[in-house]
Amino acid sequence: MAGKRKLSERPGGGSSDVQWCFSQVKGAMDDDVAEADIISTVEFNHTGELLATGDKGGRVVIFQQEPESKNQPQCRGEYNVYSTFQSHEPEFDYLKSLEIEEKINKIRWLPQKNAAQFLLSTNDKTIKLWKISERDKRPEGYNLKEEDGRYRDPNSVTTLRVPVLRPMDLMVEASPRRVFANAHTYHINSISVNSDHETYLSADDLRINLWHLEITDRSFNIVDIKPANMEELTEVITAAEFHPDQCNTFVYSSSKGTIRLCDMRASALCDQHAKMFEEPEDPNNRSFFSEIISSISDVKFSHSGRYMMTRDYLSVKIWDLNMETRPVETYQVHEYLRSKLCSLYENDCIFDKFECCWNGNDSVVMTGSYNNFFRMFDRDYRQDVTFEASRENSKPRSVLKPRKISTGGKRKKDEISVDSLDFNKKILHTAWHPLDNIIAVATTNNLYIFQDKLN
Amino acid sequence: MLTASRQPVGSPSHREQTSMQTHCCPTLTGCAFDAQNLISISLRKIQSSRTQRGGIKLHKNLLVTYVLRNARQFYMSKNSLQTQRTPPYEDAAAVHRRQEYIELTGSFTELADDFYCNFTGTESDTWHCGAHQSSAQPSELAHQDASACAMASPSDSELMVSEACWSCTDKSSWELPILNAQANQKTVLDLDTHVVTTVTNGYFHSDCCAQPKQPQAGAQCYTRKRKMDTSYYIVDPEFYLPDFVPCKRMRSEDDDDDNDDDGDDLQSDSGQLDSANISNLISVLGSGGLSEFVSWQQMDLEQIFGTQTICLKHTLLAGSGWTRAIEAF
Repeated sequence: MAGKRKLSERPGGGSSDVQWCFSQVKGAMDDDVAEADIISTVEFNHTGELLATGDKGGRVVIFQQEPESKNQPQCRGEYNVYSTFQSHEPEFDYLKSLEIEEKINKIRWLPQKNAAQFLLSTNDKTIKLWKISERDKRPEGYNLKEEDGRYRDPNSVTTLRVPVLRPMDLMVEASPRRVFANAHTYHINSISVNSDHETYLSADDLRINLWHLEITDRSFNIVDIKPANMEELTEVITAAEFHPDQCNTFVYSSSKGTIRLCDMRASALCDQHAKMFEEPEDPNNRSFFSEIISSISDVKFSHSGRYMMTRDYLSVKIWDLNMETRPVETYQVHEYLRSKLCSLYENDCIFDKFECCWNGNDSVVMTGSYNNFFRMFDRDYRQDVTFEASRENSKPRSVLKPRKISTGGKRKKDEISVDSLDFNKKILHTAWHPLDNIIAVATTNNLYIFQDKLN
Repeated sequence: MLTASRQPVGSPSHREQTSMQTHCCPTLTGCAFDAQNLISISLRKIQSSRTQRGGIKLHKNLLVTYVLRNARQFYMSKNSLQTQRTPPYEDAAAVHRRQEYIELTGSFTELADDFYCNFTGTESDTWHCGAHQSSAQPSELAHQDASACAMASPSDSELMVSEACWSCTDKSSWELPILNAQANQKTVLDLDTHVVTTVTNGYFHSDCCAQPKQPQAGAQCYTRKRKMDTSYYIVDPEFYLPDFVPCKRMRSEDDDDDNDDDGDDLQSDSGQLDSANISNLISVLGSGGLSEFVSWQQMDLEQIFGTQTICLKHTLLAGSGWTRAIEAF
């Protein structure tokens, strides 16, 4: 794409020299949010040209970045709707008397091999491979069919002609090419495409399966933590991801705050981890909710493959794959909530699963919080900043103003007190453009797109 | 009456306002009321999760049971301080009998303050409270409580998270050795006979029925007709919560646990329990925070147990039908 600026061309590439501006907001402006419209996942493709969102209604909406305008070469193209389709429908398991939600839990793009785009989308039980292709020509001049599609009487055909392709309005088609079903008993929480571009993994609460993209009727179980006696269950799998370069390596996180790195070359069943990353709990912070807040909600490898990032309820941690004993960096997302855990437990907010993401050159990490706040942590400059995604701050190209939370004492001007935070407004899903300083932040039912200010 | 209303994601109930008020101590040193409140809330969450769309969330319920465990341990540590002041039992046999019972001290209204599981490891063979069968010392009661309570695992529904959590053997400074509670008064309910009984000083007054005159001063008797609900045998598809467990089946190696049939699980490995031990009493958990669970008039007994208890053990007595007991923790 013309006009793409690589992060390496910008000094730091992080938040130290970046001014973030509002770019776009997608979604309804109604305050009354329909449950089906709640965004459940956000994902850029490998070039950043396409941005996919999934929602609780089982729909996938893909936005495409417009090419940069020749009149305004310094402005990035906007993201407009490219394709919308219903990925999953609600189902009912009659055998188990269980309703299967259509909510899209994860979307993962496949690397592009031809003109078409492919992505994997999953709900709690079924993964689907979708092909998104463009059609801008259509055949005309059939002998046996009229132009409107009606069949002609063969007896009326007196001459033959060769159909020709003529241009048509661009049409984007989304078609399911594969359906990977009936392999998960528990709720799928993660999918991850392997660097070999042939396989991918899917993880539920207790098992991880390895699939081949071409084979739908079988999968290999590579991790199984289900105990023989379910009474001995102490933890579940919360997230899993393949290494970005090593096709034999993947990690999975647990509800106990541990991350296990597994090597598929070691054995067919990777129950024995190659490495386990765990930080001892601070006994001073022990509480009724210690287990909950230590549960890892997301794990992401850095683009380099040397680090991985985990998100638990209150913090983001950066781990060096070469050191298992403790993270190399820890960033507190909203430590002021530690004293509110009881209330957060009562209203279920403590169970929110926040995601996290890296920027293109792994210098900045981002995650969401409450009150439609999202946080960026610059690893190089050791700076952090809080922004808010709101309609009030949505003037075109308006610079985002950092927000401050007053944690005690006298509240300064423009600070927000903890007690006035809106815990109904939460940012669970964020995504960072792989090559540029463009971020997509999902509030409950709106998708905000911000980008750095171009001079 | 408990109702499970489906809340939109990201929208806590109206009652659970977004403004945070620190009415609860998040640390271990928090007050007993907070632990009690947490237990109430946790049980409510478990109950409501059973009717959530999409099935029960294993992860969330596992975390809830951790909170329950932590709160319960705090309660037990508190109770150990209280009960140490009470006079010892005169009848060791009575003490032994009581060890299978869930006990609550004080009057019914006072029952709101605490509840705990009070049986030793030796007796727990039949209860099969998980890993602590070998632990026969009363002083290790706390550890017993941390172990899983027995539950059947019908079909693939062995996601018995609640009791599974109790098998966490992670030791923490919270696990204090708890002596057998020596309460003055305990109000218990026999599921089989529907008799509410007050136990005083270790003596089990089995003739106490649900009449106001029987209970000791301060205690209240309740009667509740138990509905024979065969729906017990209809198991949650994947995730079986301890509302009812026909029997406990030891897990053996299996490859198709995903396709297990419910009917295969109607076996018991707990037939050793004799009828005397099973007056498998159910203590009415009248905690202030749990009082909503004890609306006998409105709620089916099954629902009450489901909300009150963490694990439910079902013991099949030879020729004597089903007897059920509830162990809270």
